[in-house]
Amino acid sequence: MTQPFLSIRNLRKAFGAITAVHDVTLDIPKGEFLTFLGPSGSGKSTTLYAIAGFQDPSSGNVELEGKSLLAVPSHKRNIGMVFQRYTLFPHLTVAENVAFPLRVRRRPEAEVKKKVADMLALVRLESFAQRLPGALSGGQQQRVALARALAYDPPILLMDEPLSALDKKLREEIQGEIRRIHRETGVTILYVTHDQEEALHLSDRIALFKDGRIEQTGSGEDLYLRPATDFVAGFIGNSNFLAAEHLDTKDGTATIRLADGSVVSGVRANGAFGKGQKTRLMIRPEAFGMERSPTSAELNVDIVDVAFYGERRRIVAQTATGQEIDIRPTSTAMQSHDSTQCRQVYFDPAAAFLFPA
Amino acid sequence: MSVETRQSLPTFRMPAGFNGLLPALVLIVLFFVVPVLALLLRSVTEPEPGLQNYATLLGDGTYARVFFNTFLVASVVTIVTVLVAFPVAWMLAIMPSALASIVFGIIILSMWTNLLTRTYAWMVLLQRTGVINRTLMAIGVIDQPLPLINNLTGVTIGMVYIMLPFMILPLVGTLRAIDPMTLRAAALCGASPFQAFHRILLPLSLPGIAAGGLMVFVMSLGYFVTPALLGGTSNMMLAEMIAQMIQSLLNWGLGSAAAFILLVVTMALYALQLRLVGARRMSGGA
Repeated sequence: MTQPFLSIRNLRKAFGAITAVHDVTLDIPKGEFLTFLGPSGSGKSTTLYAIAGFQDPSSGNVELEGKSLLAVPSHKRNIGMVFQRYTLFPHLTVAENVAFPLRVRRRPEAEVKKKVADMLALVRLESFAQRLPGALSGGQQQRVALARALAYDPPILLMDEPLSALDKKLREEIQGEIRRIHRETGVTILYVTHDQEEALHLSDRIALFKDGRIEQTGSGEDLYLRPATDFVAGFIGNSNFLAAEHLDTKDGTATIRLADGSVVSGVRANGAFGKGQKTRLMIRPEAFGMERSPTSAELNVDIVDVAFYGERRRIVAQTATGQEIDIRPTSTAMQSHDSTQCRQVYFDPAAAFLFPA
Repeated sequence: MSVETRQSLPTFRMPAGFNGLLPALVLIVLFFVVPVLALLLRSVTEPEPGLQNYATLLGDGTYARVFFNTFLVASVVTIVTVLVAFPVAWMLAIMPSALASIVFGIIILSMWTNLLTRTYAWMVLLQRTGVINRTLMAIGVIDQPLPLINNLTGVTIGMVYIMLPFMILPLVGTLRAIDPMTLRAAALCGASPFQAFHRILLPLSLPGIAAGGLMVFVMSLGYFVTPALLGGTSNMMLAEMIAQMIQSLLNWGLGSAAAFILLVVTMALYALQLRLVGARRMSGGA
């Protein structure tokens, strides 16, 4: 990473006795698409609001190109923002909404006209220029909000769950638009969402929030394939957690004993564990296979239910100790007549992660 | 519904439930329409048939002064009421709702207090040797008592006080419908607090200002008690003049004509407001 463009330093925000953000430090390079992902109440929106200037942090700092933003009021921060709710000005036309930030900056009329046309072209709403926001669909309103937020070429664009009010199909469509606009404009985007699929689809990097702290920062791939904690593993994608006893660790790979007594070696250890320590082994549903391979470990299960989901099957199975696990092999890996029987399933120990219990 | 069933109905029928509305209609005609027509009739028949009452009222400088005064007082009261009510309404709109209902209670309670009591209370406060003048003189702000009563100032203060709830209530409704996030969005777009106010908040609250403003203006035009008690002889208002014409001079014709002019002006203003706000609503989308 080069010299940080936007820098969040030890940010803390308390509301009375409740601390919403504990200690967030993050460097964001220019042009990055960074997503704050986390459950509601994890502090991601509060962090975003501190950058926008809606909330003064209790301590810590927000710096843009080395200069602190904290003393700068919202209207002088020159930051673009798209909100969760529709915040277009209902008495102004689409074109006047997009022109608003330029008008308050007293830009010359010719420049305003050109910029409004460019922005409406960017969000593909040229023909709606003279409509009022009330006459647009939710998706169109958010695209106008995007045009308005980008009209004054802000160095940073904040997006606070902008798609949460839209239905799934529209959400996917606008996600595509946002990716394209990020590519075309190169603006640095900070995006808040609680939807992990949205985060994986859009972001260069994801900061996963939990209880006012960042649990892990990394690419979607990092978070999915190399989760730092069991919370990350549980939040991103689906996962099975099996109770296990730790026996030994060598070079980051551990040997464990599962509850049914079988011993598995070669799983990835997240942390240092003592001999005999109670741990949890995380295995992704799609990491299970139906065929043995030279490196695979095996697990005895009773198959309870098999459902066909197109490219994958979804199997509910029960381990010897009665725990239900979720298995999703590709449809071709298992014939439907295999269902409802006792059998072995297989997993690659290198794709299984050991976490403290 | 198919076309046949519709054709099978009689060609003309009273709207359903019309019979139930009849008593109410009789009431309206008897107590509202008939008196207004009687008023109109009197104004063109007494003391003799013709439009001379209207000619007198509109041609005479003394009466013209009363009309002018009435409009002046009503305008000043309306403007001052809007200026005072706006911050109060905004505060009520953004306040936690529990606290807001307490403040609302106080405002409504003042509306329920007897009008005469409240106006006499202002007399006690505003007169030469009243609480306000004495306090200001005691702390040395002024040497001479301020002329706060029996003039336009007195009438304005007393009437604004009485009219405030009629302005605040519709305005709070309008302001509450404005999403505070809209103003945050305006701020991030680079609008200073003043720009956000005059480009966003003010235009969005115009329907409320128009509704409350018209109500206050129309009520002020016909107001009697407060101008009579707090106003001076030199700025008589129309209602006082009508009372004088009918009670002291027994000139029913002239009094009726003045009342009818007031009614026409009021209705014209109401029609104008309906047009303006209606047009705005349609173009405003929301």
